[in-house]
Amino acid sequence: MAVRTRSYEAAADAEALLDTRLVAVGTWLFLAAEIFFFAAWWFAFFYLRALNNNQAWRAHDAGPPSKGYGAVVLALALMTAVSYFLGSRQPTRTILFRLLTPVALVFGIATCFFQGYEMWHLGFGLTDGGYPSVFSGMTGSWVIQFALATAWLGSIVMQTGPAGDTVVRRRPAASFAWVLLFLAAMGVVNYVLLYLVA
Amino acid sequence: MLIPERVSERRLSIPNNPITGILLAIPAYFAGVWFGTLFGLNDERNTGVILGYVFATAAFLAGVGFLNYPLERLFGWRVTPISDPDENRGIGRFFRLSLDHKVIGIQYLVTILLMLLFGGIGAMLIRTSLLVPDASITPPGNYLPLIGLHSVMMIFITSAVIVGPFGNYLVPLMIGARRMAFPRLEALSFWVVPPAAVILAAATFWGGFPTGWTGYPPLSEQALQGMDSYIVGFTLIAIALVTSGVNMLATIIGLRAPGMTWTRLPMFVWGIFTTSILGLLAAPVLAAALTMLAMDRSVQTTFFLASNGGSNYLWENLFWFFGHPEVYIFILPAFGIIMEIVPHFARKPLWGYRTGVVGLFGVALLSWFVWQHHLFVSGIAPVLRPFYMLSTELISIPTGIIFLVTLGTLWRARVWFTVPMLFCLGFLFNFLIGGISGVYLSDVPTDVTLHGSYFSMAHFHYTIMGGEIFALMAACYYWLPKMTGKMLSPTIGRVHFWMMFIAFNSTFFPLFLAGLLNMPRRVSTYDPSLVGLNRWVSISAYFLFASMVLFAGNLIYSWFFVAKPAVANPWHARSLEWQVPTPPPVRNFDRVPVIVAGPYDYGIPNARPVADLGGIVGATGGG
Repeated sequence: MAVRTRSYEAAADAEALLDTRLVAVGTWLFLAAEIFFFAAWWFAFFYLRALNNNQAWRAHDAGPPSKGYGAVVLALALMTAVSYFLGSRQPTRTILFRLLTPVALVFGIATCFFQGYEMWHLGFGLTDGGYPSVFSGMTGSWVIQFALATAWLGSIVMQTGPAGDTVVRRRPAASFAWVLLFLAAMGVVNYVLLYLVA
Repeated sequence: MLIPERVSERRLSIPNNPITGILLAIPAYFAGVWFGTLFGLNDERNTGVILGYVFATAAFLAGVGFLNYPLERLFGWRVTPISDPDENRGIGRFFRLSLDHKVIGIQYLVTILLMLLFGGIGAMLIRTSLLVPDASITPPGNYLPLIGLHSVMMIFITSAVIVGPFGNYLVPLMIGARRMAFPRLEALSFWVVPPAAVILAAATFWGGFPTGWTGYPPLSEQALQGMDSYIVGFTLIAIALVTSGVNMLATIIGLRAPGMTWTRLPMFVWGIFTTSILGLLAAPVLAAALTMLAMDRSVQTTFFLASNGGSNYLWENLFWFFGHPEVYIFILPAFGIIMEIVPHFARKPLWGYRTGVVGLFGVALLSWFVWQHHLFVSGIAPVLRPFYMLSTELISIPTGIIFLVTLGTLWRARVWFTVPMLFCLGFLFNFLIGGISGVYLSDVPTDVTLHGSYFSMAHFHYTIMGGEIFALMAACYYWLPKMTGKMLSPTIGRVHFWMMFIAFNSTFFPLFLAGLLNMPRRVSTYDPSLVGLNRWVSISAYFLFASMVLFAGNLIYSWFFVAKPAVANPWHARSLEWQVPTPPPVRNFDRVPVIVAGPYDYGIPNARPVADLGGIVGATGGG
C-alpha cells in the first residue's frame, strides 16, 4: 500500500493541532466530572430539604445570608468568566486581550475575597441544621475551585509576555474560558438553590 | 503593569525526588496539625489530622516535582517542556517523576503489587482470627479495624490494578500513539497512590476505622481519628480515578494512529475506555460525599446527623452511587483482558466484536441504575425495591453477552493452553459462579436474608478476586514479557495457576455454605458448629496466599535470574503492541504506524498485517 509522508514542519503543525484538540477534549471531560461533583451537592440539598429530619432543615431560623450580597458575588464571578471568555477569543497581541485578561483576574480575586468574607459572616452556625451544612459545603467547594481557577488565570496572565506559554499555546488558554464559564454557571445554580429556593 | 514584558529563564532549584517529598511531607504534616488546632474549630483533633494529611500530601507532591509547572507559570518563568525520555534511561527513572507512560506503568505495577501483599497479609490475619469461633485470637475491637484496613486497601488496589500498570503502559502502544494525552496528569494519577497507601496504613496508629470500606454514618462520625485516614486516603484515590479517566479517554479519543478506527480498537482498550468513563463520573460523587463526612467530623456540620437535619441515607445514596459503578470499574478492564487474550490463543477472530463492545457499554450504562440494591436492608421505601431488583437482574444480560462472545471465540478452536490462557479460563469459571450468585442476591427476598452473611462476601470475592485478579494474572503472564523484556517461567506459572485456582475455590466456595448457615460477616465470632468449615477455609486461604508468593517468586526469578531476554512477539500475536521491539523504544514507534487491519484476524486467508509500521512522520491522531 502507499505510505503517506509529511514534512517535519507539517508534523510540527500537526502536533500543535493535536495539542489543541487534546486540551479541548480534556476540558470537556473534566467538566463532565465537575457536573457530577456539583450534582452530588444538589442532591444533598434536595434530599435533606425534602426529608427535613427532626424539623431541622433550617433550625433556629437559619436562612440564606443577604441575597444582595450573594448577587454581588455571583455578578463578580460572571464578569470574571465573561471578560476572560471575550478576551480569550482575541489574538494575544491585541489591546483587547491584554486589557480583558487582567480585568478578569481582578474580578476573579474579588469574587474569592467577597465569597470568603461572606462565609466568615454567615449569620448562622454550622450546627444549625441541614441548610447551613449544605450552604457551607456547596459554597465552600465552589469557591475553592473558583480560587484555583483564578490562580490558573493568574498564570495565564503571567505567561502573556513574548514567548510565554499563553502566546505559544494560545488555544489551551482559550479552552480554559469554558472552565470559568462553567464555574460561573455553577454559581448561578447554587445561588438559585441556596438563596431563592431554600 | 500586570502583564510581564518578557519571560524569565529562571528555574526552581529544589532537587525533585521522593526523598525530598518525604522530607517536606513530615514537617508539613505537623504544620497541618498545628494549623488545624490554631483555627479553633470545634473538633481540633480531627481537623488537625485531616489538615495534616492534606498538607503532607501536597508537600510530598511538591517535593516530587508537581509544583514546578504551575509555579513556573505563575511566576511568569519559561515553563519546563515535557522532558525528552531519551534523557534518562537509567534505573533511577523509576524512582522519580517521569512523564513516560511506560515508566509510569512499571511504577504502578510495583507499587500495586506491594499494596497487594499488604492487603493479602490483612486477609491472612482475618482468616487466622477465624480459626477459632470465639474472639480469643483477635478481640472485636481489633477485628473491625482489620476488616476495614483489608477492605479499603484492596479496593484501592483493585481500582487501579489493571488501569494503572497495564492501561498506562499498553494503551498508547495498542492504539499507535507515542505518548499519553496529558503526561503530567498521568504521573499525578500515580504519585497520589503512595501517599494514599501510607495515609491509609497510618490509620492503624489511630486505632483504625471500624466501618469497613463503606464508611457508614453514624459509626464513621463517631469513630476515632483512624477514620480521617479513610477520608483523605479515599479522596486521593478519587483524584487518581478522575485524572486517570481524563487522560485515558483523551488519549483514546485523540491519539489513535491513522487507520485505528473505532471498529479496530483492541478489546482491552475498549475495557479501559468504558471503565475510564465510570471512574471519571463516579469518583467526583465520592469526593463530594467524603468532603461532607470530613466537614461533619471537623467543623461539626450535620449532613449525616438525623437529629439535626441530616440523614445517614444521604451518605448511603452518595456512596453507593459511586460504589456500584466502582465494582464495574474493577471488572470492565478484566472483561477487556479476557476478550483480548482469548482470540490470540484460540487462533480465531473474536466472535462478535461489536457485540462485545455493546456488552461493555451495556454494563457501564446499567451500572448507574442499580445502586439502591445495596440499601434493600437499610429501610428504603419498599416501592423502590422492584425497580432496583430488575435493573440489577438486567445487568446480567450484557455481562452474559461478554461471556457469549468469549465462549463463541473458543467454540471449535484449537486452543493454545498457555499460562495466560489458563488464567482466562479460570476467570470464566470463577466469574460465572460470582455472576450467578449476584443474580440471586439481586432478588429482594434473597438479599434481605443473605445480605449480612458470608454468602454476600463470597459473591463479592468470586467476582473481584476470582474475576479481576485472575484476569490480572493473565495480563501479567501475557504482557510482562513485553513490558520487562523477560518471559515469566511457564512451569512455575502452571503450578501457580493450578494452586491458585484450586485454593481460591476451596477458600471461597465453602463461604457460600457458611452464609447459607447464617454466619455473619464483619463479626469475629461464629457458631461453634461452623468451626470445621472455617478451618478448612482458613487453611485454603493460606494456600491461596502461598500461590501469590509463588507468583512473586516467579517475577523475581524471571526478572533477576533469567539472563535470556524475551523475544519481541513470543505469542505470535497480531495486535500492535507486539509489533514493536521488546522492551518498546522510548518513543514507541519510529514512525507513526498506519493501521490497515483488525487485531483479531487469525486464520483468515491472506489477512493483512495489522499495521504498516513505515507509517508517517509526526503526530498521531485521527483514526
